[in-house]
Amino acid sequence: MSTKKILVVDDEPDIVKWLTVLFENSGYIVIQAIDGNEGLTKAQEEKPDLITLDISMPNESGIKMYRSLCDSDSLKAIPVVMLTGVSREFERFISSRKQVPAPAAYFEKPVKDHELLDKIKELIN
Amino acid sequence: MKRKERVDQPRRLKDMVYKALFNEVPFCVAVIDRKYNVVEANEAFERNFGDWRGKKCYAVYKKLHRPCDECPSDSVFDNGKVVVADAVGVDKNGKSTHYVGHVAPLRKTEDGPIDYVLEMTRTVTGTKSWQQEYQVLFDRVPCYIAVIDKDYRIARANEAFRRSFGDVVNRHCYEVYKRRTSKCPNCPAEKTFRDGKVHRSNQVGMGKRGQDIHYAVTASALARSGEDIAHVIEISTDVTALKKLEHDVIEAERLGAVGQTVAGLAHSIKNILMGLEGGKYIVSLGLKKNDSEMITEGWEMLERNFDKTTSLVKDFLSFSKGRLPELRMIKPADLIHDIVDLYKDIAAQSGIELKVDLPRSVRKAPLDPDGIHTCLTNLVSNAIDACQMGEQKGTEVIIRLTEEKGTLVFEVSDNGSGIDYDVKKKIFTTFFTTKGGEGTGLGLLTTRKIVQEHGGKIVVKSEPDKGARFRMEFPRKRLVTLYEDSSKSENSERSR
Repeated sequence: MSTKKILVVDDEPDIVKWLTVLFENSGYIVIQAIDGNEGLTKAQEEKPDLITLDISMPNESGIKMYRSLCDSDSLKAIPVVMLTGVSREFERFISSRKQVPAPAAYFEKPVKDHELLDKIKELIN
Repeated sequence: MKRKERVDQPRRLKDMVYKALFNEVPFCVAVIDRKYNVVEANEAFERNFGDWRGKKCYAVYKKLHRPCDECPSDSVFDNGKVVVADAVGVDKNGKSTHYVGHVAPLRKTEDGPIDYVLEMTRTVTGTKSWQQEYQVLFDRVPCYIAVIDKDYRIARANEAFRRSFGDVVNRHCYEVYKRRTSKCPNCPAEKTFRDGKVHRSNQVGMGKRGQDIHYAVTASALARSGEDIAHVIEISTDVTALKKLEHDVIEAERLGAVGQTVAGLAHSIKNILMGLEGGKYIVSLGLKKNDSEMITEGWEMLERNFDKTTSLVKDFLSFSKGRLPELRMIKPADLIHDIVDLYKDIAAQSGIELKVDLPRSVRKAPLDPDGIHTCLTNLVSNAIDACQMGEQKGTEVIIRLTEEKGTLVFEVSDNGSGIDYDVKKKIFTTFFTTKGGEGTGLGLLTTRKIVQEHGGKIVVKSEPDKGARFRMEFPRKRLVTLYEDSSKSENSERSR
């Protein structure tokens, strides 16, 4: 079994750093992106096994990126774990989406590390 | 021959005029003797009351069979004084008619007894119905009307007024409207008595049940031009319901803003918590692995997020600071000099030139020095950040002060990285930041809030890589109004 690859998308450098250390320490390879545009490019290039996506970034680029992932035949199978600062944002996202499937998992910040790791293990394997 | 003509002419002219007058005056004329007989009447009289020959005046005027209870000609026969009286009669078609009679004595000789009375009667039926219409209008119109005399006593008040304020006639208006014992300050009626012009103002009074009544009042003079003004009519619209609605809307918006702010705050705090969580995790992992580089990295993350907490709390406090600016008359240029002193070195260290562009003189203006200082600090530090982010050499930040058509303008411009369209849309919204972990997203929001509290507005012009220009515009008129209001409320605070 090859090592699984996770793409971390967040505009908070500290959160990117933390998730990177957390996932690398659990034996995953981590790719980083600081906004939705970069995230989409790296998803296409690297074809990660899972994506963690912050949806409270400026320009709603997290939401945009998620839509693009769902619209792309080559990327829509990748499970997405959403992280958000405010539950309202997620509710708004859920209520506004059209023909977009719900994300594989959803966590509200601050995230408990073991909960996140358990969910990721379950999704990837 | 010629001379005789000249003697006769005036007499004939006089006769002519009398005859014509008697028949052509636009009202009814009749001559009545002591026994109520109509002995002479003009054409208008006959047209109006019908045939009078050989009839008693009461039979002609009112179609009665005996003298009226109150006969004005009786009193003229008694004392020789002219009487003016109004009465209701019946015209020749049996229709009720309102008229005003003017009754004068007639004597055959200058010192003799009064032989007849001359009754000149004007029909006022038309005027009466106008009066009735006016009375209905006066009472039924859905606003308060009060006629006020020079002593500020209410001479007349309409139904709506009496319903809200109770029995008010002959009481002082200030006592009725506001339960005061002396004239209200800023009284529109007083101004109208003084200059005869229309004056308006918004007031809060107290109804008869002690309820607050907000009303917009218009005071107009009740006098023909050039006459001394004896009365002022005050017409007031009750805006209590509107005021309540306005208040409710503002309250709802305020709560909405509070909700948004709290949500935004929660969001910022959650991100900081994530950072702390991360730092803690990395430090403990570094300790477990004995990896000093990792420990340092985690420790720095912890420090960064503690600092973020501090600046978030500081910004949040300045955002939630009192609602009203504390205005003082100050020189706008002084505020700019303070900012330059503060940022000169910081800018120079980054190779940025900080310039000022001040006109020779700008009059003092009522401003909140702390508030404007906060605004300029936010704008200048943003401009310096934008210069540092840009690629170009020779960056500069210019603080400019101008006065355009009674509007005071503070301008902060830079030739740094600029702002793209998406960001510009959100630049003044809660907790929006492009600085990732560095910004709290409260700087421009607070700036806009302070500018709006000054009655001003803030606008931004920018394109990516072309720098940005922020303008804070303060109309002097509004500043002055705010200043007067705030000093007034201070005075009333003191007098309490």
